[in-house]
Amino acid sequence: MHTRGKQQLEDLRARIARLERRLEPADLSATAAAVPVHEPGPLDIVTRPHGLLHEIFTADQRLAGTALGFGLGLARPLLTSDRPALLYLQLASDRQELGFPYAPGFHRFGLDPDAVVLCRVETVAELLWAMEEAIGCRAVAAVLADLAGPHKALDFTASRRLALRISATRTTAFLLRYGTGREASASALRWRVGAAASPPPPLHPPAPRPPPLAPAPAKSPLGSRAQRLEGKSFELDWTDHGFVVVARTGAGRAAAGRPAASSRPQSAALGHRLSEAG
Amino acid sequence: MRLAAVDALAAQQGLHPSPNLSDARAQVRDLEVREIGRAHLEHIFADFADWHSNASPLVAVMSDLAAYGDLCLDITGTAHLFGGEAAMLEKLTGRLAALGFTVTGAIADTIGAAWALAHYAPGTIAGAALPECLAPLPVAALRLDESQVSGLARLGLRQVGQLYGRDRKALQARFGLKLMARLDQALGHLEERLTPRIPIAEYFAERRFAEPIGLIDDVLACADDLAVQLRYRLEAHDLGAQSFPLLLYLVDHRVISLSVNASRPTRDAGHIGRLFRHRAERLAGEYDPGFGIDLIRLGASSTSGLPGHQLGAFAGMDSREDLDRRFDRMAGRLGPLAVLRSKPVNTHIPEQAIPFEPVVARTPDESEAAADPSLKRPLRLLPVPEPITVMFAEVPDGPPPGMVWRRIAYRFVRTAGPERIAAEWWHPPHELSVAREAEPRRISIRRGEEREEQRLRLVRPPTPARDYFIVEDETGRRFWLSRQGLYGEGEAPRWSLHGFFA
Repeated sequence: MHTRGKQQLEDLRARIARLERRLEPADLSATAAAVPVHEPGPLDIVTRPHGLLHEIFTADQRLAGTALGFGLGLARPLLTSDRPALLYLQLASDRQELGFPYAPGFHRFGLDPDAVVLCRVETVAELLWAMEEAIGCRAVAAVLADLAGPHKALDFTASRRLALRISATRTTAFLLRYGTGREASASALRWRVGAAASPPPPLHPPAPRPPPLAPAPAKSPLGSRAQRLEGKSFELDWTDHGFVVVARTGAGRAAAGRPAASSRPQSAALGHRLSEAG
Repeated sequence: MRLAAVDALAAQQGLHPSPNLSDARAQVRDLEVREIGRAHLEHIFADFADWHSNASPLVAVMSDLAAYGDLCLDITGTAHLFGGEAAMLEKLTGRLAALGFTVTGAIADTIGAAWALAHYAPGTIAGAALPECLAPLPVAALRLDESQVSGLARLGLRQVGQLYGRDRKALQARFGLKLMARLDQALGHLEERLTPRIPIAEYFAERRFAEPIGLIDDVLACADDLAVQLRYRLEAHDLGAQSFPLLLYLVDHRVISLSVNASRPTRDAGHIGRLFRHRAERLAGEYDPGFGIDLIRLGASSTSGLPGHQLGAFAGMDSREDLDRRFDRMAGRLGPLAVLRSKPVNTHIPEQAIPFEPVVARTPDESEAAADPSLKRPLRLLPVPEPITVMFAEVPDGPPPGMVWRRIAYRFVRTAGPERIAAEWWHPPHELSVAREAEPRRISIRRGEEREEQRLRLVRPPTPARDYFIVEDETGRRFWLSRQGLYGEGEAPRWSLHGFFA
């Protein structure tokens, strides 16, 4: 009886997922058909197939750099020869508050500054219009919209509209937002990203190293298995090959035994993702 | 205070633009005086000038002597449309006179001669004998300033004809090159060009309305229609254009100019029409057709070759082309400076390294301008660096232990730097300049005299060198700080926050 109830629940979940055009958990790994479905790890969510609305929340505007870094890290593998452009949208009034994306810093994320088009708009209504316009384009890999504060115009209806448009064209969109609120939105994934202290590099202890990030999926559509990851936090590091998960250690123990992630080739875990990056 | 202009009534009373207001007040009781708004007049006159492009596409305001008042039209090849030069002059001046303007005009082969005749012999249509036409005019007709006119008068040279055949060198030595240049311009020995107010459209389509229209929807429908006409015209020459000015000529002598740009040459009427629709949405309050629009002209400029290609069954939509069209549309709706790309420039100064450039008007990059990937640069940069308070640096030129920024204190646990970025001495403003020492040194020379010598030496102006530090606080936030100036110099160094790392 108990198992039958559980089965029904699973079926219902799958039906809803189909209705909302979500991806089945099985889609997450390429080997899913042959091998019994493995537990999706943090990297599987990070390297989700494209075509979703993400919300990237950071606690405050001082973490704007971290949020943008995480967004660009997620967007980088989506750039292909068919979809060569990345669009970044920002309100003109937020420029001094948050800073604007600085092209010489992009190469750390393997991005060609030419691929990133910056869009400076006056109002949120214009921003949403531009976002929809960009989502509708088949040459745009990802759209990043940066909003310093909460806005009336960006409500559930607006995000639902974006999500529906995305499901039609499969362009990925990221909303970078600030604060700790839990606003209703139709986004498929919500990330809460924080900064993590850099580990000490072997030879020059006091210098900041390439930064790890600490994202936590706060909301995910991945079905029961992935939902176990919901609310859990993990640390990521950006390497030349993409994100890698670093072993979670306490701040105090960081010096003890964390591998220097960027200096080690991580090819085994990242092979299929590189091919995706084109 | 002096009178700048007088109306007909005041002129009847014997007033003329004279140097003194109090004299005029003494002459005419209850004189009504208003302050002249030159900027406003200039603006109005410019609008007025634009409207005259319905007679000829090349219209310029001549601002040699005054910023407004002289309008110049190049009527080459247009006079026959009005039934000859005389009829054209009469029509253009007559339609202004009917509106109550005092207007004089003339037609001549050169700009200088036309100006002279319009001011001193209105209504003349100068033929081939230009020197004879100009000879009886006063020398002021050559667009000279007052000192030149009075100087010539002192020599007894009052008419233009008296200057013919004079010794050029002597005149040039006395009155400068400008006098000879003006004379040559008037006689056509020296070329003078108009700077047209409205860029010349190589191809255009226009429609005149018997009844003026006013609604923006009608205007857009007409623009669609003109775009189709223009398309056929461009197609015949295998051309595409990147810039499409749409000029709306209003009944009340103004011109509304809407312009859209495309990032790649196009002649697609549907696309152009859509761009105008987006441009119109941004117009909102600016659009005021007044009493209506009686002529709409759509031009196409910046043309380049665009060979025809097959559309339809086998043509897949190029994704790159789709992208460019989106950018066109976004630039139309959000404004030309909204959709930008970062253009690398060959400089070390961080805020000047990446000027933005509209995507729709991209220029090729310099090959050596690409950013150096070995430099650590932040992911976000603040447009204006924000001042921060730094406690003290432990080592004089070392990194700070903490800062206060936006009223919040931060303590740094990791720091890297400094990276010194100095002013670029190879650019003119920062050149080594010769400076005088504050106190001239007294030196004695052999004969026992003392004289002051201004010692000149080469000094660098205080170079705004900046030291940049990458710092990380306890929670892992990474900032890019800069310090301008050095400790131990007269002025305390200024610290500022310039960017954020991921």
